[in-house]
Amino acid sequence: MSRDGQQINRRRFLHNFAFLSTAIATGPGSWVIRPEWANAAEGSVKIGIATDLTGSLAFNGNTDANVARMLVKEINDAGGLLGRPVELLIEDTASNESVAVGNVRKLIQRDKVDLVVGGIASSMRNAIKDVIISRGKTLYIYPQAYEGKECMPYLFCTGPVPAQNCDKFIPWLIQNGGKRFALPGSNYIWPQTINAYAKTVIEKHGGEVIFEEYYPTDQVDFSETVSRVVSNKVDVVFNTIIPPGVGSFFKQLYQAGFSKNGGRVGCVYYDENLLDMNQFEEIEGLASSLDYYKSLTAEDPVSARIQSAYEKQFPGKFRFSAGSAATGVYRGLKLWEAAVKEAGTVERDAVAAALDHAKIAEGPGGPAEMVPGKRHCRMKMYIGVAKNGQYQIASRSGGLVEPKEC
Amino acid sequence: MTEATPMGTEIDNVLPHSADKRWFGKSGAMIGLIEIILLVMGALAPLALPDYITIYATRVLVLCLFALSFDLVWGYAGILSLGQSLFFGIGGYAVALIARDANIASIFVVLPLGMVVGLVAALLLAGFLLLGRHPTSVVFVSLGTMTGAYAADRFARGSQYLGGQNGIPSIQLMTIGHYELSEGPVFYYLALGILVFFYLLCRFMLRSQFGLALAGLRESEQRIAFFGYRAQHLKAIIFAVSGAIAGVAGSLYAFHEGFVWTNMLGVVMSTQVVLYVLFGGSGTLIGAVIGTLVIEALGYWLSNAFQDIWPIILGLLLLLVIMFRPAGLISFVVSERERVGSFGRPVRRGGHGSA
Repeated sequence: MSRDGQQINRRRFLHNFAFLSTAIATGPGSWVIRPEWANAAEGSVKIGIATDLTGSLAFNGNTDANVARMLVKEINDAGGLLGRPVELLIEDTASNESVAVGNVRKLIQRDKVDLVVGGIASSMRNAIKDVIISRGKTLYIYPQAYEGKECMPYLFCTGPVPAQNCDKFIPWLIQNGGKRFALPGSNYIWPQTINAYAKTVIEKHGGEVIFEEYYPTDQVDFSETVSRVVSNKVDVVFNTIIPPGVGSFFKQLYQAGFSKNGGRVGCVYYDENLLDMNQFEEIEGLASSLDYYKSLTAEDPVSARIQSAYEKQFPGKFRFSAGSAATGVYRGLKLWEAAVKEAGTVERDAVAAALDHAKIAEGPGGPAEMVPGKRHCRMKMYIGVAKNGQYQIASRSGGLVEPKEC
Repeated sequence: MTEATPMGTEIDNVLPHSADKRWFGKSGAMIGLIEIILLVMGALAPLALPDYITIYATRVLVLCLFALSFDLVWGYAGILSLGQSLFFGIGGYAVALIARDANIASIFVVLPLGMVVGLVAALLLAGFLLLGRHPTSVVFVSLGTMTGAYAADRFARGSQYLGGQNGIPSIQLMTIGHYELSEGPVFYYLALGILVFFYLLCRFMLRSQFGLALAGLRESEQRIAFFGYRAQHLKAIIFAVSGAIAGVAGSLYAFHEGFVWTNMLGVVMSTQVVLYVLFGGSGTLIGAVIGTLVIEALGYWLSNAFQDIWPIILGLLLLLVIMFRPAGLISFVVSERERVGSFGRPVRRGGHGSA
């Protein structure tokens, strides 16, 4: 919003407060962040963020919006894009597809944005992608880890997909757990798709799937599942049960003595935010496979810089973590920035063509690049193991991992 | 303006005055006036509004149609159908499937299909919930419809064929002959036309003898039964009609938004429609339309102005209206007497005759 230094002083606070109250009082078109720009008259480049600021996924959505705010500020501080200021327009998708379509239309038809980044749940992506791409003729970047198989033109995915989650993770689980797998999951598409993929990897590496089961998304009692795990001498529980059920599932597993007796729990989406859901001893040894962990900041200066810049600007409860798609938003916006610079325009086809092979050398967790023709992202993957409520990096992918999509 | 009548006492107050109503009496003109004003506003709106708001308004009109269907069962037959979204969603899914798998998107096929599917689903549910050997209680019907919607939601979530949790995206545009109906003023007028058509149909139906029996049913089911009406049959008929209208709304919605998803079938939509009608005022038809318009317009404005907390503000507003105006916004301008309506031939002078 302003460029008068980073520290929060009284004047800056008043400035922001005044801006906020004006914004609230006048009810502007959107939560617009206008850079103080010399040549703003030339017209700004507009980025639209459509994410769940309210509703059940608000926790993730607000983090994503914050990452975009941070990056747009960085871009503007560094002289903008193509010599033009970047304007950020944020709309709420409210974890409700019906509301979302209306609000995304504002971005497309009223604000005429050059890019939309957003959507967290796959159903949300499905709901808004037509509004953005087919009917809106705009570029769309979907930042969240998801089940893959989204191959629509002009839709670029910057989060990890099943191959990236599983290819290194499953062999690691076999080595550090055992060969007998149980695949409990919530009953919807993401667990089913990722388990189908995981199963082939497990069998390829000599493991076996003892059982694969799906439960209603709001089930919280898993005693029957736990007793099957114990009685079948399962070595690895590859979990795709989602919150809120997952908390009690892990608790019940712990109480049954699963990890004490050498069992290993693996869960691909489990990031730092979720560690707080359980007592630390209940999830001790839980292994996760993500594109970023906060503990990487100790070894990777780029990650450290991004993490601290984020925490400085947004010290609140919305933490920068992989599971919330914060890393996907970062990657997506940076790749798009690179593509726009290469294309020399924000026109959709030219940017899409450049984005198709865009690369960034620096990002949370490491560099990233688009796989040409696939609209998915190669990225580094890490395996983290929970130890006393913190993740320790247990394994790093050597190079960038292929998404193997489309 | 009228006194705020608590819901409970209405029943006793209303019936003796029924014969007192006039089609266009001194106090009886309000509803007609509001209807005309809204229609004129609706017809002129696209000329005054930018395109993106017209598109938003189209969606609201479709939701008005859905609210209308709910007002039929709740405001007139006294059935609190907590699963109205079942018919809305099933209509939407039916047309999405026929568009996806059979590549049919002609308006002359899809809208009747949505209607028939909604009708059949409602008839089946009515057969189960209403037409048993013993009359069923209000609570049983409410929970039964809610369970129906919940089960359908769950089923759709688990079914790969229906796209599971992700729904069915990228539905093609609806066609009239060779003309492709994309969002915009044309779709708006189509939706307005359909809404007005069904509104008039409902209005005609409710002002007939059938409507009189329904009004009686709502106020006192026992009395109507003693008069020799088959109360359960009346309920089943109105339930089915309402399902058919919800099905049409659902199929329009699917084509306008370009996708269907499981919440369309489940509790999210069905609570939304209860709020629309509760907010606007039940039992007047136009109240449902007003409630939908106001809630959607407020939501649109609030989500712009107070992005982080807008659902809370909207919720508080709804709560306030429902606490202090249990009969909804419409009760500010329409008297309780007019709400109940008049039937048969107009009576010259009001007297406390029997209905």
